[in-house]
Amino acid sequence: MAIDVPESSAGAKGKAPLIATTAAALGGYKKGIAIMDFILRICAMISALAASAAMGTSEETLPFFTQFFQFQASYDDLPTFSFFVIAMALVASYLVLSLPFSIVSIIRPHVAGPRLLLLILDTIALSLATAGGGAATAIVYLAHNGNANTNWLAICQQFGDFCQKASGAVVASFITAVILLFLVVMSGFALRRQ
Amino acid sequence: MMKAGELEIGEAKSSTPISGVNRGISILDFILRILAFVGTLASAIAMGTTNETLPFFTQFTRFRAEYDDLPTFTFFVVANAGVSAYLVLSLPLSIFHIVRSSAQKSRNILIFFDTAMLALLTAGASAAAAIVYLAHKGNTKANWFAICQQFNSFCERTSGSLIGSFVGAFALILLIFLSAVALSRR
Repeated sequence: MAIDVPESSAGAKGKAPLIATTAAALGGYKKGIAIMDFILRICAMISALAASAAMGTSEETLPFFTQFFQFQASYDDLPTFSFFVIAMALVASYLVLSLPFSIVSIIRPHVAGPRLLLLILDTIALSLATAGGGAATAIVYLAHNGNANTNWLAICQQFGDFCQKASGAVVASFITAVILLFLVVMSGFALRRQ
Repeated sequence: MMKAGELEIGEAKSSTPISGVNRGISILDFILRILAFVGTLASAIAMGTTNETLPFFTQFTRFRAEYDDLPTFTFFVVANAGVSAYLVLSLPLSIFHIVRSSAQKSRNILIFFDTAMLALLTAGASAAAAIVYLAHKGNTKANWFAICQQFNSFCERTSGSLIGSFVGAFALILLIFLSAVALSRR
C-alpha cells in the first residue's frame, strides 16, 4: 500500500487531466445532441400540428346537387381520417409536453433518466404517427385511384381540393414520423456510457 | 496499480450485478425477437394465401378476391415479409449481445434498425387495418360498398392476419425499450 500510494497519486495526476478532458469533450457531444433533439422536437411538433389541422379543416362542398346525393366531403365522413386527426393531435401535444424533458437533458447531459423516458415515449409516438399516416395513406390512395375489383370509385376526381388537403396532411405526418425516428436514434446514441 | 486506480475513480464495484441484468435483458431481447419473427411471418403467410372464389358468376363482374386485388394488402405482405427477414438476420446480433452484454455500438445499430422496421411494420399494418375496416363497414358517403358481406372467408383471413402484425409491432417497441435500458446501464 505504501509503495502503491505514490505510484497511484502520480498515476492519478497523469490520469486525471485526461479524464477531465475526455469527460468535457464527451459531455460536449451529448449537449450537442440534446440541443439538436430540442430543435428537431419543435420541428416535429409543428409538422404534426400542421398535419392535424390540414386534415381537420379539409371540407369541400361541390356547387351542384341532386335530389338523392350530397356532394359534400369532410374529414369525418371517413372514420380513418378522424383517427388520423386524433392521432396527430395526440402526437403534437405529446411533443409539446416533452419539451421540458428535452431542456433538462440539455442542462444535465450526463443524466440518463430523462433521455431514457424520452426514448420510450418517442417510440410510442412514432408508432402512433406512423399508424395514423399509414391508414390515411391507404384511404387517400383509394380515393385517388379507386379499385376496379371491388367497385370502389375514385372520389378525388370530383373532390379535388379535399383530396389535395388530405394528401398534404398525410405527407406532413410522414415528415413527423421521420423526425421522430431520428429523435429515437439520437437519444439511443446519447445514452451510451463510457 | 490497477486496483488502486479503479478504487480512486470509484467504478467497478458493482459491475457484476449490472452485467447480470444486462445479460437477462439480452436473453429477453432474443425471446421477443423470435416472437416478433413468428408473428410477422404468420401475418405475411396468412394474408398472402387468401383466395376466395364465390360459386356464382356473371358476364361482367368477377367474384374472386385475392390479396393482390388491393395494393394496400400487397404492401402489407411485402412489409411483413421484409420485417420478418430483418428479424431473422438480427438474431445473430442478439446472440452476440447475450454473450457480450457490454457491447454499445452494436446495440445502437440494433436500435436504429429496430426503429426503422417498427415504422415500416406499423405503416403496413395500419394501412391494411384501414382497408379491412372499409371492407367490413363500407362508406355510404363515398359510395364504397362493403365487400365483406359477400367475401366472408377472405375478410376473416385478412382481419386475422392483422393480429400477428400488431403483435410483432408491440414486440418491436419492447425490443427498442430493452436495448435502450441495456445501453443506459453500465
